[in-house]
Amino acid sequence: MSETTVAGLTTEEMIVNVGPQHPSTHGVLRFVVTLDGERVNECVSHIGYLHSSLEKIAETLRYEQYITNTDRFDYLNGLGNELCYVQAVEKLLGIEPPLRTRFIRTVMAELKRISSHLVYLGCYGNDIGAVTIFLHAFRERELLMDIFEAVTGGRLLYNYLRIGGLRNDLPTGFGDQVHRFLDHFPRRLTEMTDLLTENRIFIGRTRGVGMLTAEQALSYGVTGPSLRGCGVPYDLRKLRPYAAYDQVEFDIPTFPEGDCLSRHLVRMEEMRQSLRIVRQLLDKMPDGEIQAEVPRRLRPEAGEVYERVESPRGELGCYLVSDGSDKPYRMHWRGPSFYNLQVLPEMVRGGLVADFIATLGSLDPVAPDIDR
Amino acid sequence: MWGYVRDIWQGAKSIVVGHIVTFRNFWRPKITDRYPHSDAGKNWRPGPGYRGGFALLKSDEEDRELRCTACMSCARACPVGCIHIEGEGKGKERHPVSFYIDMGLCVYCHQCVEACPKDALTMTDEYEISGTSRAVLVRNLEELVAAGEGRTEVSRVV
Repeated sequence: MSETTVAGLTTEEMIVNVGPQHPSTHGVLRFVVTLDGERVNECVSHIGYLHSSLEKIAETLRYEQYITNTDRFDYLNGLGNELCYVQAVEKLLGIEPPLRTRFIRTVMAELKRISSHLVYLGCYGNDIGAVTIFLHAFRERELLMDIFEAVTGGRLLYNYLRIGGLRNDLPTGFGDQVHRFLDHFPRRLTEMTDLLTENRIFIGRTRGVGMLTAEQALSYGVTGPSLRGCGVPYDLRKLRPYAAYDQVEFDIPTFPEGDCLSRHLVRMEEMRQSLRIVRQLLDKMPDGEIQAEVPRRLRPEAGEVYERVESPRGELGCYLVSDGSDKPYRMHWRGPSFYNLQVLPEMVRGGLVADFIATLGSLDPVAPDIDR
Repeated sequence: MWGYVRDIWQGAKSIVVGHIVTFRNFWRPKITDRYPHSDAGKNWRPGPGYRGGFALLKSDEEDRELRCTACMSCARACPVGCIHIEGEGKGKERHPVSFYIDMGLCVYCHQCVEACPKDALTMTDEYEISGTSRAVLVRNLEELVAAGEGRTEVSRVV
C-alpha cells in the first residue's frame, strides 16, 4: 500500500471486495478492486465459484447423452450452445442435417438471442439504477419462453437438438405464435428504447464510460457485441455461415466509439436484426424430414474437431477429441464470457468506482459460462 | 449556454417520456398471476410436451399389465444414472419388480422416454415436485404406476 502526501494530507489506497454475492455481478463473481478515493487503480477478478466441471463430465458420457449439459453453462443461450455442440459432433461423424432441421435450429437460436439480449437489457438497466426496464424486458421475454415451452417442453433447459436432427418437429400453431411475437415485439422494443436508451441519465452513465479500443479488444480475444461496439464487424454468422445463416439477409450492426453506450446500441440493433432473420426463415421454411440417418451407436473415428458459433456474448467454440470410442476423449469449451472478462481491468483502470459496475454489466457476462 | 439549455430540455424530455410509458402500462392487461393463491394459477396445466414428473403406463389390452419389460434402455440412456430397475422373468414374462427414479438427481432431459422401445415410461405435466427430504423425492414402482393411471400416451410435442 502506497502513501502519498497531497497538500499536507495523507491518503492511502483502499481495497474493496466486489462480490462474490453482489447484486450486479451477474452470478457469483468476485473482484478485488483497489481504490484511490473514487478512482479505480487495479481490479483483479477471482473466478471459479460456479465451476461445474462440465468438460470433465463429457468424458464420462456418450455423445448423445451430453446434449442436456450444454444448456447449463451459458444458461441464457441454451439452444445456441446445443447448436454448437451438435454441429461439432456432426462434423466429427460427417453427418449433414436436413435443410428443415437447419432452418428450425436457426430460428430457435435467433429467438434465444433476442431472449438473451432482453435479459441483458433488464439487468443492465437494473445495474445502473433504472429498475423499471427490468420488468418491461422480462415481460417480453415471457412470450419467448412460452414459444420455447411449446416447442421443446422446457422453459430454460431445452435438450431439443439431437445429433443429426431434432427432438421433435415444430408444434402446430408455431408459425402463428412466432408471427404474433414478431408483430408485437418491435413496438415494445421502441418503447424500451424510449424508456432507457434515450434517457438523459442513462446516456450520462454510459457515454464515454468503459472505453475499449479495437486493438485492445482484438489482443484480448474479445468477441461478440463488445467487439462490434469497437467498430470491428466480426460476426461468425456472416464470416462463416453455419446452419441456415447463408439463406438469409441481415446486417452486422457496429458502433465505433467503444464505450458502454455503443455496446448497448449494438445489442439493441441485433435484436431487430434477429427479428428480420426469423421472419425470413419462417417465410422460407421448407418441408421434409427432420432427422438424418445416424448410426445407433455413435463411434466417431479418432480425430479432433473445433466448431464455433456466434452466441449472444461472442464466439462460442467447442473443441472435441475422439479416440474412436462412444465417449469424447477430451472436450473444451471456449466460453465468450471468460475471454470478454479478461479485458475488464484495462477498461475500468482510472475510472470511477460507480462506472465499474456499468462497465461490467455492458460486457454481459454469465458466471457459469466463465467457469464452466 | 446552448449546451446547458439542451441538457435541461433532454432531461425534461426523458422524464416525460418515461412517465408516458409507465402511464400506458396502467391500461394493459396484467400478465402475472398470484400462484398458488389464485384459481387460474392452481388450475394451470402445461402443454403436451412438458417434462415434469414420471409415470409408468399400462398396456392397452384387457389384462392391463405394465408395458415395461425391464430392458434397462431408460437406465442406460440416463445421463445422471437416476433410474434403478430390477426385473424378473424371461422373454414375454419379464417385468419390473422394483423401479426407482430419484427426482433429486433427475435433470429432466427426457432421454429415458425417447429410449423406451415399448412407450412404457412417460413424463407427465406434474410440476410441483419439490419435497422436504431427499427420500420423498425417490419415486418407487407403486407411485409411478399410480401416476400413470388413466394415461395412454407418452409425453410428446404435437
